Amino acid sequence: MNAALIDIQHVVKTYRSGNVETPVLHGIDLLVQRGDFVSIMGQSGSGKSTLMNILGCLDQASSGTYLLDGVDTLTLGRAQLADIRNRTIGFVFQSFNLIKRMDVLENVALPLIYGGVGRAKAHARAMTELERVGLGDFARRTPSQLSGGQQQRVAIARALVTGPPLLLADEPTGNLDTHTSDDIMRSFQQLNRERGITVVLVTHEADVAAYSRRLVRLKDGHVMFDGSAQEGLQQFAGGHAMARPGAAP
Amino acid sequence: MNLLQVLIESLRSMAANRLRTALTMLGIVIGIASVVLLLAIGDSMQRFIGGQLQMLGTNMLYVVPGADRTSGQRAREGKVAVLTLDDAEALNALPSLTGAAPALQGGFKLSAGNETLTSNVTGITPAMFNIRNWKVDQGTPFGEADVRASARLAVIGQKVADQFFYRQDPLGRTLRIENVAFQVIGVLAGEGRQTDGTDLSELVLVPITAASANLVKTPFPQNVHYVAAQGRSTVALPEAVEDIKEVLRSRHHIRFDDPDDFRVQNLSSFADTANKISAGVALLLGMIGAISLLVGGIGIMNIMLVSVTERTREIGIRMAIGARPSHVLLQFLAEAVVICLAGGLVGIALAAGGAALITKFADFDVYLTLSAVIVACGFSTVVGIFFGFYPARRASRLLPVDCLRYE
Repeated sequence: MNAALIDIQHVVKTYRSGNVETPVLHGIDLLVQRGDFVSIMGQSGSGKSTLMNILGCLDQASSGTYLLDGVDTLTLGRAQLADIRNRTIGFVFQSFNLIKRMDVLENVALPLIYGGVGRAKAHARAMTELERVGLGDFARRTPSQLSGGQQQRVAIARALVTGPPLLLADEPTGNLDTHTSDDIMRSFQQLNRERGITVVLVTHEADVAAYSRRLVRLKDGHVMFDGSAQEGLQQFAGGHAMARPGAAP
Repeated sequence: MNLLQVLIESLRSMAANRLRTALTMLGIVIGIASVVLLLAIGDSMQRFIGGQLQMLGTNMLYVVPGADRTSGQRAREGKVAVLTLDDAEALNALPSLTGAAPALQGGFKLSAGNETLTSNVTGITPAMFNIRNWKVDQGTPFGEADVRASARLAVIGQKVADQFFYRQDPLGRTLRIENVAFQVIGVLAGEGRQTDGTDLSELVLVPITAASANLVKTPFPQNVHYVAAQGRSTVALPEAVEDIKEVLRSRHHIRFDDPDDFRVQNLSSFADTANKISAGVALLLGMIGAISLLVGGIGIMNIMLVSVTERTREIGIRMAIGARPSHVLLQFLAEAVVICLAGGLVGIALAAGGAALITKFADFDVYLTLSAVIVACGFSTVVGIFFGFYPARRASRLLPVDCLRYE
């Protein structure tokens, strides 16, 4: 398929509380091709989290169109959206969002189980995915027995276990120290390059955004910059060179 | 998502809050225990009463001498209320009865070989075998001719036979009653306690004439202790009672405005009373059970609502990775059902214990029937689904974005 993986046009999101309407997104247009690595930046209140929720089918736009992998998501019911989140999207969150009562392996296997895979098969595939992120030995630990970086790698394994084409990460390094952040970002980069997974992440850190190829900057619900990450970061950092080792050219 | 996974997750979430789960279950436990016990008691009572009625024979009437006044009062009036063999004979001829048979009873010393035993001996006429539905297993019952001849013959219960003639053929042997030799000619079939307190297998039956001549030894050999009668099934029992009264009043020369000097007891009215009592007990237990189940169910709903709120974020995570609303609904519903079923099983165990206690101390067999257990499990499931549905639906209707934002 040549169509863009993400095709958003004139997306408007308005929150309503009582009679007061608060517009958050004012007609966003965004195209993300397969294999791209996009950072979305913006100050708090810029609408980046709202955009992320809409991209992830966790929330629906008030108007506009959103084609994900060629499917018009605004026409889908809740069960169908759940299936899309299961198969097409992998989520990585700032606070890892692992289920505490389950051990690591079960956490990773859960998306497969919701996708209808049998328990034994799901566990085998989860194990493979855990080994890929280097945590095969930790399968029977609970999340609380792992460090923040390890937990985030478990979350990445969980996001990828169903083999989705799209990885959405919301401040994935927000709770991690610099060294671990770099580790995580490098593994995103690796996934993007080696497995061709499209990565879209939200961050407010220029260091993190520097790993991506493309930068989208939001302000007050509008896209105010959409271009190469290097260019964008330079422009907004007041001329400082932000190129980092390993950053996309 | 298969059922095994749902079950594992339910058990895990129950295990995470053990005390809370146990307390939540308590209402269901009590409810199910009383429902099961009520079913078991109802069943057992019905069985018991049915068995009694069968042993007594249907449409049984007992005529005993004396009215409401005591024998002392009657003695002062110069009248002694009695029933005689001839009274019984007259009743036996009544068309509204299938038969009537007199009886004389007393405790006497029985002996055979080295065995000695004091036991109840009943003098009867052959009609009694039909009326009471007593079956002679081995040998034969005695007949009218034996009664007329005051023949010293005996028909004995199974237990008496075992006691005196263990592993021997009792027929034709001599059983001494108060040192008078009686020949055993029959053994009664069956055993079991009857409403009048006697056990079929402990009976010793002799011709009533032989009893009055050799054992009871009253100066009035014609008198009997009571007359048992059986109404015809085609005749309403009260009509048979009226017929009996008419015959006896005329035979006893009672003026129309004087009271009876006998009483006619209707045993089926005892059974009715017993049935009413058992129904009352069942209703009471049923109400306790229903109220417990209701309260327990509300408790479950309450806890499930708390649980949904506590796990809002988890619900969000699950939805984000692909749980459909139906998956979330099923998970919470399953949890409520598993709690109820577990409570139900504990309740069944408790009821089984209760039944065992009643059986042991009340001399009344109560045991759980399979149907009671199935009904209890079904009830638990229904309570779980009924009270778990609202919280589960609430969980399934949450929006993923709201859940993930929830702290």
